[in-house]
Amino acid sequence: MLIPLLAVSVVAVGFPLVYALYLSLTDFKLIQKGTANFVGAENYIGSFADDGFWGAIGTTFTYVALAVIIETALGLLIALALQKQKWARDLTRAMLLAPMFITPIAVGLTFRFLLNDQLGIIPYLLDGVGLSYDFLGSGRALFTLVMIDVWQWTPFMVLLLLAGLESIPKQPLEAARVDGASGWYILRRITFPLLVPVLSVAILLRSLDALKVFEYVYATTRGGPGTQTETIQYFTYQTGIQFFRLGEASSMAFILLLLVLPLIVLLFRRLKRSPR
Amino acid sequence: MKKKLFNSLRGLLLLTALVSVLFPLVWVTLASFKTPSQLNDPSLLFFDPNFENWLYVIDRGILDAALRSATVATITVIISAIAGSTAAYVISTYKAGGNATRFGILAAQVLPPAVLVFPFLTLAYLTRVNDSLLPLIFAHLSFVLPVVTWFLIGFFDSVPRSLEEQARVDGFTRFKAFLLVVLPQVYPGLGAAVIFGFTLSWNDMFYGLILTPSRSAILPVSIAGFNTFRGVELGAMSAAILVAVVPVVIASFFIQRKLVQGISGGAVKF
Amino acid sequence: MGTVSLKNVKKSYGSTAIVEDLSLDFPEGSFTVLVGPSGCGKSTTLRMIAGLETVSAGQVKINGKDVTDLDPKDRDVAMVFQNYALYPHLTVLENIAFPLRATKTPREEARQKSLSVAESLGLGHLTSRKPKDLSGGQQQRVAIGRAIIREPAVFLFDEPLSNLDAKLRVETRSELLALQRKLGVTSIYVTHDQEEAMTLSDRMVVMKDGKIVQLGSPLEVYTKPNSVFVATFVGSPKMTILRGMSDGQNFTHERGSQFKFPSDITGPVLLGVRPEEIALEPSNEGQGRIELIELLGPRAVITVSLGESSVVAVVEAQKLHNIFLGSRVSISFSTISAHLFSEDTQLRLN
Repeated sequence: MLIPLLAVSVVAVGFPLVYALYLSLTDFKLIQKGTANFVGAENYIGSFADDGFWGAIGTTFTYVALAVIIETALGLLIALALQKQKWARDLTRAMLLAPMFITPIAVGLTFRFLLNDQLGIIPYLLDGVGLSYDFLGSGRALFTLVMIDVWQWTPFMVLLLLAGLESIPKQPLEAARVDGASGWYILRRITFPLLVPVLSVAILLRSLDALKVFEYVYATTRGGPGTQTETIQYFTYQTGIQFFRLGEASSMAFILLLLVLPLIVLLFRRLKRSPR
Repeated sequence: MKKKLFNSLRGLLLLTALVSVLFPLVWVTLASFKTPSQLNDPSLLFFDPNFENWLYVIDRGILDAALRSATVATITVIISAIAGSTAAYVISTYKAGGNATRFGILAAQVLPPAVLVFPFLTLAYLTRVNDSLLPLIFAHLSFVLPVVTWFLIGFFDSVPRSLEEQARVDGFTRFKAFLLVVLPQVYPGLGAAVIFGFTLSWNDMFYGLILTPSRSAILPVSIAGFNTFRGVELGAMSAAILVAVVPVVIASFFIQRKLVQGISGGAVKF
Repeated sequence: MGTVSLKNVKKSYGSTAIVEDLSLDFPEGSFTVLVGPSGCGKSTTLRMIAGLETVSAGQVKINGKDVTDLDPKDRDVAMVFQNYALYPHLTVLENIAFPLRATKTPREEARQKSLSVAESLGLGHLTSRKPKDLSGGQQQRVAIGRAIIREPAVFLFDEPLSNLDAKLRVETRSELLALQRKLGVTSIYVTHDQEEAMTLSDRMVVMKDGKIVQLGSPLEVYTKPNSVFVATFVGSPKMTILRGMSDGQNFTHERGSQFKFPSDITGPVLLGVRPEEIALEPSNEGQGRIELIELLGPRAVITVSLGESSVVAVVEAQKLHNIFLGSRVSISFSTISAHLFSEDTQLRLN
């Protein structure tokens, strides 16, 4: 009965993966179509030496770190607040979770125009209090993109953390209350440690997802100013699609995969350890 | 006294969050009904709605793009539901495939699309299907199938083994027992998984951008298309955004509860 | 029609043997109970008869046909699980009728049959309810209805009463027995509750560590247990076992007290006496001292200390007026009711 899954997986994932590896070892250019010469590790060496590539990796990792930290902190606060909520529970939750379900390109474009000098409402409001801020300018663009990520994906953290909070058994908390512990103490010493498994899974999942950031860049800065917002997925896209260097692009993707693999293994281990 | 303070802080936090979430969406909705001159005034809140933008995007084929997105998503989800539910069942009940399979499912979900997109593109050209939606369906399967399977494993875990055994003793084969007795128990979970999978496919732009020709673009790509060198046709783009966003957000309202269950059953636990 | 036969059946997981070399015949119409402590292999044996577990070695026959390699659906057995395994998404009527779908019985006929079975079990007014809206006892009856509708060769019960409260358990027990008598279907029943085993079975099979330790009618097993294990497992309160020496005339408890007990056996022995066979007489020179009195309505369970050993006796409530905590009593029992066991082999000697 596993056969359907296996069949589809092989076709949709397994084979392409192997083919990607093959591509990364050739000098295949899409325009040539047909002749692909085996060049061995040349692409990999080239990518390793490419400053642009490492710049993109650095940019992406910075982006992920900032985004995930903010989303975790905010997500935890909101989840804690939601847990205690009494009225209009389902509606509030449904509304707060909505951003997760919007196609990222739409989010990117929406914010591009929310922040636009002439047509956007935010600069308009800022102007009203005498402030002006160049959201997509040099030194600031990456952080702006981080905030877009935060807008869209904090709900994801809220979702997981809320599920985690609600699965914490009530008895230890009640016992602590009866023993006279303060709310803050309970939070720090009981709730938080019990939440660590969920937290680590959530952080790992979100980080792996944030690494794929593309749409926000495509919608707003296209990698600029300069190369400040060139994330790895965007850089690879450019190499492969705009410059047609598929072999090189594949090698970059594989290097990224290798860098990311430890995270995946970590996530897998964490999930196995969680008690049912 | 302290309690009251915390309660008001809590309320304030949630209110701020709600406003932050709704604000951009409301603004986009308003923009979709504005004329180009009205758009120049971002603070304009009350005006007579103008449907020009909407007619424009329909004229430019947004509904066709939406249909294409829906087609790809539906096919992807149907295949995922069938392959995923059978696989999730055997993995949950018989621990089939062991750790390797479960790792594979997890890895497939979180794999950066950059890795798989080039082979898909190349293979599509080589097999001459690059002009259709077929490569995109395969690409979408690569991440929707694992997610649906993963999701369902958690739900199958909560079905008692004795139900299947009872059905087998009552005279049914293993497969019939699965179909008639076990599967019905996870229908709610399956429903949520299907909607979630549909959303994932509907929202994808990366594969869509690269694997489909521009004249038969899927919806997210089509939205990006309103980002032309003429500066943005903001009103039209807003309308296009809403076409993509509204169905999914409405669907999300319905599956919100089951989603928490599924994600906590599948993603948080094992 | 329904005979079951197990020949040298063995079940192991890796190197651990759960059931070892088990041979057992179940005659037609019999009600056999497999009883024993957790882990003794009774459930595994039942599941091997059902076909839910594969057999590591040996043969299973139903009605003379070798079913060892057959799927459960081809064995003509019906099973009731401990948690009833009712199909939550189906109504009571559909649950009972479900097995008939496998035999492709026409819809209307299946409905009628299901209705009459439901009525015969007192469920006629509940047919359109879902399992979650039923009480424990009602759910159990639906499970039974589902089993009888198939008119199978054999009924298999896996601790079906464990989830019911004590009172309901006793009531349902008698209903089950009456049902089996009426239908005459060979029944194999698994339980860890020896009281249940005694009341239901016409044949009791006591199991331990994957082997049969005693087989017989409840009366036989109760009055002539062949080992200390069986003696202390069956019967409540437990049989008192005392260590001591027998010299052919008397039994001397290791602590000194002597009881008249003529026998053929000399040497170290274990003496077993059932609580109801022990008589207590208040006496100042008595060997025993009353440690605990537990009143159970018409009777009381009295625990008496004899040196460091405990003797448990059951006494009529009327006799309690001169028995007090701490008072000394003399213990006596009739010699025909006592059992002797060897200390090393734990097996019966007399």
